[in-house]
Amino acid sequence: MVWIIRMKGGALCLLVLCVLAFTPNSGAQAQDIPQLTGRVMDTAGILPDDAKARLIAQLAAFEDKSSDQLVVATIPTTGDWTIEHYANLMFRRWGLGQAEENNGVLLLVAVNDRKLRIEVGYGLEGILTDVLSKLIIDEAIVPEFRAGDFPGGIQAGVDNIIAVLEGDAAELEARAKRNERWIDPDDLAAIGFFSLFGLFFGSMIIFSILARIFGKKIAPGRYKWLGMQVTYGGSSSSSGRSSGWSGSSSGGFSGGGGSSGGGGASGSW
Amino acid sequence: MTAALSLFRPFRPGVVIAFLLSLLALSGCGINAIPTYEEQAKAAWSQVLNQYQRRADLIPNLIETVKGYAAQEKDVLTSVVDARAKATSVQIPSDVLTNPQAFETFQQNQSALTSALTRLLAVSEAYPDLKSNQNFLALQSQLEGTENRIAVARRDYIEAVRKYNTELKTIPGRWWASWFYPEARPMQTFTIDAQSREVPKVNFD
Repeated sequence: MVWIIRMKGGALCLLVLCVLAFTPNSGAQAQDIPQLTGRVMDTAGILPDDAKARLIAQLAAFEDKSSDQLVVATIPTTGDWTIEHYANLMFRRWGLGQAEENNGVLLLVAVNDRKLRIEVGYGLEGILTDVLSKLIIDEAIVPEFRAGDFPGGIQAGVDNIIAVLEGDAAELEARAKRNERWIDPDDLAAIGFFSLFGLFFGSMIIFSILARIFGKKIAPGRYKWLGMQVTYGGSSSSSGRSSGWSGSSSGGFSGGGGSSGGGGASGSW
Repeated sequence: MTAALSLFRPFRPGVVIAFLLSLLALSGCGINAIPTYEEQAKAAWSQVLNQYQRRADLIPNLIETVKGYAAQEKDVLTSVVDARAKATSVQIPSDVLTNPQAFETFQQNQSALTSALTRLLAVSEAYPDLKSNQNFLALQSQLEGTENRIAVARRDYIEAVRKYNTELKTIPGRWWASWFYPEARPMQTFTIDAQSREVPKVNFD
């Protein structure tokens, strides 16, 4: 008893102290990794619009088919960081791949550093191995880059990565099936919310109808049923249906929450 | 008995509610933070061990391949074999994370293996046949990938330990530790010196 009371006092006092002592410690992100806004993040501006559009369509189609998220990023430089470090932080910040599957791939090109990297999520390390990543870089991408053809090199890299990921057709299908989302998680929250909403108002409406039928009339336009009074007429419906919710679907692209442990390969040209 | 009960009875619901509330307040206050962070740090540590093991597993194959082309580099080859043997044979004590000496030994053994490997790869430069051997190229990219995974695993471990150690040293966590987790000790972390920071670079071009 005494102990409990002391606990309670202590806890309350601690709670206050906790609130007082709480300071949000911001993670020190030395360099600014751009926000993920699309499947092709051409920050360095080396891709013409048509090549970019083609890549985006190809990558989107591939994700629809396999649930693998493949993203191409170009940046001017990785700064003080190695490309491996930068690519891993970028991958994790963007959360490429589905969260349970970690099936993301990032093709990162640091133009001024003349370096590139294929960073592979945990879930694809067994398929797109380090050796295959290195081969794609050395055999498909670097020759094009050396010839000064960035769009061609990136296209070749993407084609090869997709070819490797598609290589094991059975596994690809299984992966896609596992991640088949017939209801988007975001939508699920909205559906839940609106069904509650609907249930609440729907039952009110039904109640008011039933009250009129089964209830006792106590005044003109006023009925009493099950201990509740319902008033009809008057200045009803002040709910102007102000839909303040914003649909976040369509158009944008975001990572599925996957992570990477540093798989893949790097190269330079 | 009955006296005690009757004494407490008027307080009973209040006490129960207060107790539940204080429990809530306690967990909101981070009473679970220390064990949570400890588990996260341990998981990150297993990942570090896992990646070092992966590297050790690649070495016999690498040695065989290099031997085929550069058998005369006996010193370098033996130094890699010895370093690997040392790094893998030493039984890691279970308290390695909180025991500075054991941790230091582990770190030294692994970094000795790292530098032996770096030397081996540097020496291989001189053998064009070896450098163009498909098997060697594959092993090399696997090794590079593993070194990078080690770097990532170490970074994650350092971050997890930083969180755990900070929790142990800063105020609410410090009190929880002294009351509920007296056996919690700060964990050792990797010292990133300039040399080992350079380690993941085993590039060849």
